[in-house]
Amino acid sequence: MKTKKHLLKDQRVLLAIVIVTIVATVTAINPKFIAITNLITIFQQISVIGILTMAMGLLLISGGIDLSIGNIMVLSGVVMARIIESRDVINEGTLLLVIGAGVATGIICGFLNGIVIAKSKCIPLIITLGTSQMFYGLALTISGGRIMSFKGVFDALGKTKLFSFFPVMLFVLLGMALLSFIILNYTKFGRRIVAIGGNEKNAYLSGIPIVKYKVTIYGIAGAFCAIAAIIFSSRIDSITANAGSGYETNALTAAIIGGITFEGGKGTISGAFLGCMLIGIISNAMNILQVQSYVQTVITGAIIVCAVVLSNISNIKKTL
Amino acid sequence: MKKTILNMKEIKKEFSGIYALSGITFDLYEGEIHCLVGENGAGKSTLMKVLSGAYSPSEGTMALAGKEYAALTPAMSKALGIAIVYQENDLVPSMDVVENIYVGNEKGSLFPDFKLMLDETKKQIGELGIFINPLEKIENLPVSDQQFVKILKALSVKPNILIMDEPTSMFNVQDSAKVLDLVKRISEMGISIIYISHYLNEVVQIADRITVIRDGMVINTYDNKNKDIPISIITKDMVGRSVDMFYNKEKHAIGEIMLEVKHLQLSSNSPVIDFSVRKGEILGFSGMVGSGRTEIVRAITGADRRYAGDIFIHGKQVKINTPKQSIEEGFAHITEDRQLLGLMLSVSVLENTTIVGMRNKIKGFFVNIKKHPRLVENIIKKLKIKMPSIWTEAIYLSGGNQQKVVLAKWIFAEQDIYIFDEPTRGIDINAKEEFYKQMTELTKQGKCIIMISSDMPELISMSDRVLIIRDGAIDSELIGEKIKEQEIIERALGVHHL
Repeated sequence: MKTKKHLLKDQRVLLAIVIVTIVATVTAINPKFIAITNLITIFQQISVIGILTMAMGLLLISGGIDLSIGNIMVLSGVVMARIIESRDVINEGTLLLVIGAGVATGIICGFLNGIVIAKSKCIPLIITLGTSQMFYGLALTISGGRIMSFKGVFDALGKTKLFSFFPVMLFVLLGMALLSFIILNYTKFGRRIVAIGGNEKNAYLSGIPIVKYKVTIYGIAGAFCAIAAIIFSSRIDSITANAGSGYETNALTAAIIGGITFEGGKGTISGAFLGCMLIGIISNAMNILQVQSYVQTVITGAIIVCAVVLSNISNIKKTL
Repeated sequence: MKKTILNMKEIKKEFSGIYALSGITFDLYEGEIHCLVGENGAGKSTLMKVLSGAYSPSEGTMALAGKEYAALTPAMSKALGIAIVYQENDLVPSMDVVENIYVGNEKGSLFPDFKLMLDETKKQIGELGIFINPLEKIENLPVSDQQFVKILKALSVKPNILIMDEPTSMFNVQDSAKVLDLVKRISEMGISIIYISHYLNEVVQIADRITVIRDGMVINTYDNKNKDIPISIITKDMVGRSVDMFYNKEKHAIGEIMLEVKHLQLSSNSPVIDFSVRKGEILGFSGMVGSGRTEIVRAITGADRRYAGDIFIHGKQVKINTPKQSIEEGFAHITEDRQLLGLMLSVSVLENTTIVGMRNKIKGFFVNIKKHPRLVENIIKKLKIKMPSIWTEAIYLSGGNQQKVVLAKWIFAEQDIYIFDEPTRGIDINAKEEFYKQMTELTKQGKCIIMISSDMPELISMSDRVLIIRDGAIDSELIGEKIKEQEIIERALGVHHL
């Protein structure tokens, strides 16, 4: 096998080329695009979707999928906001309680998904469509349909800058990506998750406890959603029950663009990260180029279709 | 002299270096029932796939309807009047009989003409003298009636050649008799039938001619006009290989009993199975496809649930209900279907090899797979696995090398009781010998092996003892010198001492 051919086969290389091309073109038109402050803005813009993409990526590689991640995020956020609203004074203890409750909510939702999917052997797509409604309804109930405020509790996270320049948020995203990378590549758990995604029957015959592992990975994804909720609230400081809509499809698209497949057992965290970056860069570039926002939506959609078709080129020939 | 409507000449079919058919000449007369018999893997189904257009032959020609063809496509084969009743169920359970018969081939133009289709079906049912409600859904029909629907479906295109592959394999005696009756009536309508079956009693009852195939070659064709060909002649043809096809296994001592299976029952009304395997022994499982060999081992390793049965290792009872438990008790299960069950095709050779051994051979929570090649390189080298790199995905390896990866996985895990289910199916002779060497090596190390095999030379050369499985039960046991082809095949077919 020649290296050149091999390199082009790797979707990440293709993605990197596309990203560099877009960056170069947009910079040529408007040099402000490449300015370090704008680059940091891009990372801030993708921080929430980035963390959700990591969760979706891990699930897809394990052969699963979760369409409720947007609403898990919202439910965690609403739970946190509810606690904040109920307190007059916010000290460090309350902060810990708030974060703990948020993360616990995420994990419980994930476990629920995982248990139903693993035990019932139903298609995860359908199950999570259903649970998504449940989580949305719960968030509606708790919030009473109002806009809920975080009273600036997480503002510090949004405003604090390392070396008085790099926002902490950026490091949360990078940290979560790194954590996903380590889980997937450097733990037995991660490698067995790949095995389940690659061939579940073989994984079962190889002595891997499928149910336990599936429940765990959905739980981890739930925890990721809760962390995304914290980042979300640190940026916007308020949340509504329908704030999560669209996040699951965006995360799914980013992961697929990054070379992760529906079939499972395949794909990389770095690819998913690049996929997410591509989406962020495109929307930022269109803002910079002052593309009308309705047109932006059309272009984003078209680019996603192109990217997915491109990534599937090697498969088109294979069929039959 | 009868009219010949099909003449296949010197048909050869090669799959990556292995000849499944090595020069078969086969003809078919108008309106005759021509039976094809042979062991599992002799080449019967491959030959029929050549005829139906699923495979194109590597060499040879087929004369059909006055023309010669080097290869057929499925569409050509259909147009030439060849229809097949497949062994596996290809009916849509939620649709009724008529719809199933005409699906993809509906009468009428834009809108299907349901009335015409119903009338045609009723007419056909009447002609064949069977009783089926054409408007009944398939899922409500008994298996035997479903088989009739499959036959009706094949007949609906008005074929002149009908191929039937093991049409009675899932039936009891009475239902089989009904199918056989139907087959005779179809041939009386002037349709030629190629009938594949391993039920030799049936074959002798209905065949006008019988062709025996072995190792991709025609051994003999018998005229069975008077339905009087002795079964023993056929079984003798099915076996009888020359000595050089056998592997010369190194002999060594066999120790005490290692694995004991007691009162195993797959379901409440299935036969009770008891057997044991000794340290250093290879116990062969022989039987026709569908005899229940695979199901027995799957029940032992926990891959499937069992109704009853206790398992003892070194005299101590062990609890095995899942593959995980069986692995912890020292079982290795090299499954029948490597692509479906034995490998993760999209994952590297390295990780396919370490997936089981990760449990006991790689310590800790964190792993660094870049360091793993060191752990398995000796095994990979020993098995002579050919691959671009250890990081190559399993899908890019040849069948033989894929199978070696499956074996490497279980050698790496260092288990005690190895179960091989059709270990060398579809792999070349060199890879086969490598397998035999490794199996011998394992038994020398004091491990024991259960080997399911349809490959007669393999079964005979490798096994210290053979259990013959028929209809889900242990029919008989052959030891040492008694392990001979004809002895095995007659018992597996249930025609011993007939």
